[in-house]
Amino acid sequence: MIGTVSYKYALRSLHGHTRRTILSVIGVGVGCAMGLVATSWITGGGDMEIRAATGSGAGHLRIVPAQWPESRENSLRLTDWQKALAVVEARSDVRAVAVRARASGLLAFGNRTAGVEMVGVTPAGEEASNRIVRKAHIEGRYLRADDAGAVVIGRTLADRLDVELDDDLLVTLSGRDDISRAMLTVVGILETGSREIDGAVCHVTLDELNRITGFEGPGEIAILLDDNRHIDRARDELAQAVPEGNTVITWREVSPEIATGVAADRMFTRLLIGIVVIVVLLGIASAQLTAVLERRREFGVLTALGMKGRQIVSLLMIEAVVIGLGGAGVTLLVGGPVSYWLATSGVNITRMMGNDLSMGGVLIDPVMYGSFGAWVVWYAVGVSIVSTLGATAYPAWRAARTDPAQAMRVV
Amino acid sequence: MSENNTLVCARDLTKVYRTGDVEVHALRGVTLDVHAGEFVAIVGPSGSGKTTLLNLAGALDSVTSGALTVLGRDLTELGRRARADLRLRSLGFVFQAYNLVPVLTARENVEFVLELQGVGRDRRARSTDVLNELGLDELADRRPLEMSGGQQQRVAVARAVASRPKLVLADEPTANLDGENAEILMTMMRRLRDEQGMTFIFSTHDPRVVAYASRVVTLTDGRVSADKRRNNDEIRTPGNPDTQDAS
Repeated sequence: MIGTVSYKYALRSLHGHTRRTILSVIGVGVGCAMGLVATSWITGGGDMEIRAATGSGAGHLRIVPAQWPESRENSLRLTDWQKALAVVEARSDVRAVAVRARASGLLAFGNRTAGVEMVGVTPAGEEASNRIVRKAHIEGRYLRADDAGAVVIGRTLADRLDVELDDDLLVTLSGRDDISRAMLTVVGILETGSREIDGAVCHVTLDELNRITGFEGPGEIAILLDDNRHIDRARDELAQAVPEGNTVITWREVSPEIATGVAADRMFTRLLIGIVVIVVLLGIASAQLTAVLERRREFGVLTALGMKGRQIVSLLMIEAVVIGLGGAGVTLLVGGPVSYWLATSGVNITRMMGNDLSMGGVLIDPVMYGSFGAWVVWYAVGVSIVSTLGATAYPAWRAARTDPAQAMRVV
Repeated sequence: MSENNTLVCARDLTKVYRTGDVEVHALRGVTLDVHAGEFVAIVGPSGSGKTTLLNLAGALDSVTSGALTVLGRDLTELGRRARADLRLRSLGFVFQAYNLVPVLTARENVEFVLELQGVGRDRRARSTDVLNELGLDELADRRPLEMSGGQQQRVAVARAVASRPKLVLADEPTANLDGENAEILMTMMRRLRDEQGMTFIFSTHDPRVVAYASRVVTLTDGRVSADKRRNNDEIRTPGNPDTQDAS
């Protein structure tokens, strides 16, 4: 049992060894501050990557034909897509919806050709949900709902084909029954700064694409949610509601390479944090063990008086909690402002990546922001206390096993 | 003396310390009974085994061979936790170097032991009572560093007897005290024995301290070489300060 005198004992012991206590608090605080900043950076970076991936056309969720995840076949079309769209639009957590179809084919201008995946879009939905369209500089204009025979292509593709605005392109697509051909006029040349993205963009209206290919309806409904933390819940709910023959997949299944990249980034950074935290913990454990060895005679006396092992452990754990709380203060003092700066000012990653701000066909932000919020306080307090308790466990166990007769022989 | 009155019963007790290949025989077959109410001095030269005997009787150390029963408990059978419980609830300790908790006041040092025993709200009142009974009330709010050695040792006695143990073990309690403080301490311990029936076993080199003992056990080379019970007129008491030093 631990009571008020034991608490006084623990607190005054810390006060009585001010230098050691301060060093321990700083050690815990600086270590946890490093963890806090890294966590802020990873969380913010991860959110940015997800935002970029989902906002570059994938959507948080996508309704696709049930066979699509297996075959990835562009000729597949949604079953009863109007009903599926109505289900989506009835939800309150949906920020934007894009209805699309895709077809693989060839663009030709003069003697130049380029393979493309042509995307049939609803222009309003695309502008609302696709940051590539929204953020890019467009020479000419983007598509309009009533456009017929119009195409918007990326700058790199335009350069490859050597076309300019108002030039007519010959498009050859695999249609419903046969190869289909059509002439399309370039109404807009889109430039994101990413050669990868600008070499792939080829948008026509959905009606135009279906007119050329002979298919009906869209092949996908991409959905952007208000909050990316609720993706899985929304997916489960939508999966119950969409017409049979369709399925709901997340951005991770749409862009597995990006999802893998995000997961790998997080794992690597967590590994780094883990190494830092372990080094810090070992440092604290070493300091605590030294302190316990210095206090061996004291623990011998306490044991002689009848203090049980668990009571000695409790005494040291009280000290550890106080050090942890002090460490949390240092964590907030050191790591808090850095995390806040990361979250508000961000880091311009164009210095590292140049102006080509794409990754796996996703347009990423030039400034990467960290994450900041109330979680910083809980993180600082939680990690500091838990790590200090963890680091104190072994020294406390050693103290609890002090042999009183042997310890008191040491003068 | 009846068997029920026997607080410590040692039979052919040995203790061997091993350091690498070196063996040190601290006790070589000690047989000794200590009965309730005795005020026993263990005397003998350095290295004779006094501290070892007290450590064994106090369940601080384990026996190498032989039998040892303290307060009816066979110490050779007790595990770490049971030994700690015995020390906490039934034994009192006074150490040569006082060993008060330096960050606690005198009252808190006494209260601490009561807290460990699970005494509830009245532990503060009880610790204050103990200090008052022993005339230490003025020291109650002082920390060890604010007290003299003699004062610290008296507080250590208060801590040892706070839970009214049947047996108090004191290892050279006066070794760091001057003559006056040694006498004050022994008078206090003797009064506790006389008024509360506590049994004291203490080791000492000091003949003036031995004079207070009702029984003197002499250890030589880990064996009991003499065991002398003394008449009341041989024992130095607060009311009989002129009694001869005895050994």
